[in-house]
Amino acid sequence: MPTTRDQKIQAEAKRLLQEGVVDVVIGFTKGTLPYKMQPCFIQHAEDVEQLELNGLCSNNLAVYLNHRPKDERTAIVVRGCESRAVQTLVLENRHARENLYLIGVPCIGILDLQKIQQHEQDPVLAIQEEGDQVHVTLKSGEKTFQRSEILHNACLHCNHPLPVNADMIIDEAGLFEERTFDKSYLESFRSLSLKERYQEFTKEAERCIRCYACREACPMCYCEECFVNHSRPQWVDSTIDPAGQQAWHIIRAFHQTGRCVSCGACERACPMNIKMTYLTDLLNQDMFKEYDFEPGLDPALMPPFLALGEDNEKFGVGPEGSHAG
Amino acid sequence: MIRKKPAIVLFQCQYCLASSMDQYWVETELPENVKLIKVSCSGRIDPLYILNAVQGGADGIMVCGCMPEKCHYKEGNLHARRTLSEFCNFLNLLGYSQDRFVFHWMNIDERGVIQSLLTEFEKNLEKLGAQPHLKTRTFSQEKA
Ligand code: SF4
Ligand code: SF4
Repeated sequence: MPTTRDQKIQAEAKRLLQEGVVDVVIGFTKGTLPYKMQPCFIQHAEDVEQLELNGLCSNNLAVYLNHRPKDERTAIVVRGCESRAVQTLVLENRHARENLYLIGVPCIGILDLQKIQQHEQDPVLAIQEEGDQVHVTLKSGEKTFQRSEILHNACLHCNHPLPVNADMIIDEAGLFEERTFDKSYLESFRSLSLKERYQEFTKEAERCIRCYACREACPMCYCEECFVNHSRPQWVDSTIDPAGQQAWHIIRAFHQTGRCVSCGACERACPMNIKMTYLTDLLNQDMFKEYDFEPGLDPALMPPFLALGEDNEKFGVGPEGSHAG
Repeated sequence: MIRKKPAIVLFQCQYCLASSMDQYWVETELPENVKLIKVSCSGRIDPLYILNAVQGGADGIMVCGCMPEKCHYKEGNLHARRTLSEFCNFLNLLGYSQDRFVFHWMNIDERGVIQSLLTEFEKNLEKLGAQPHLKTRTFSQEKA
């Protein structure tokens, strides 16, 4: 009888492959560095032992749906944010839901290496997770953290760690319960003055080296040709001048309005440690306030920018001809 | 001291001015500080266009489209209204005040409204002063 989380995932993957339910299982396996996990694609039942899942799996696996053939029967190991990303992708016709099998895992959160490794001179050699505690071997010696101390910010702010609409759930209580909408850090950003907000934004954006790792890591960024790559006309400067950096950050975030699932994969991918989920979180918060919409929760509800309701009341324009600015 | 008038960029849907006099005025007699960007439908105004105007130094942005249910393409204006109003909120969060935006959804029986809207907007912008943030775009001529 499989007992641990990894064993349960492996058993399910094995069953799916043996019974021919799916062609491939997407999950995580050990990476080349001792404290990194990497995505893997399992096509044969005898390989399922490679599958593992822990707090070091920092990618969002839903991103691979965009790179695989549309009609491939795929099983994915999904945590909360990944299940919501899959949901949104299905809604946007990127993949057919009937070709997908979601192995849901209640999320235990993703660890933030930045919080663990404080100094360049003191690299992380190994990380061992044990329930609520995380034992880290640094070059300078051993250290034990509480999991909550070193969780990635996106996970600290996450409202829905439980998978949505999964085909099966690995029944192990996650460390998280469903929570209320705690986005107080957004409120503190909103309460800054216009100038302070601008400074805060520029401070982050101006470090950008335009590598687009954030885009590649994001499941919702799947355009064949991104607006920053257009050369005729060139909408956005492609070099690292302030105009281009700001435009990239503003428009990238804006394209995620009502679509971003707040997984934080973009931030974890960024080589410059630039904060950017606050941008998409602000936009999503607006969508929640105005349209009562949260990405990926309802499999039938289109994002507000795709579903055009009659919101005349909201904007003060009535069909009778009264109008306001 | 002669103060420069605020730079305004006017995004106008080609169908929203029902009166040909108004359209003629907009096309030929706009004051120099107002730049006209005529678009086929307000739904065609990508946030990127607005951002380009903002970064290029616009002190104010005015968007004119048709009223709901009067869109030539059925729902372009509804799309514009949702996305652009949110984009305006978003820019407000990043340092470009929402007072620098005006949206106006024209009714077909409106005459001479665009002129008064522009005058009023210009007055408001003068009170706000020059736009200090996000003005980062340099043009290729300037670079050379
Ligand atoms: S923008 Fe970032 S947080 Fe949002 S879905 Fe994409 S990778 Fe995840
Ligand atoms: S990953 Fe970071 S540095 Fe690279 S483009 Fe995105 S924000 Fe810029």
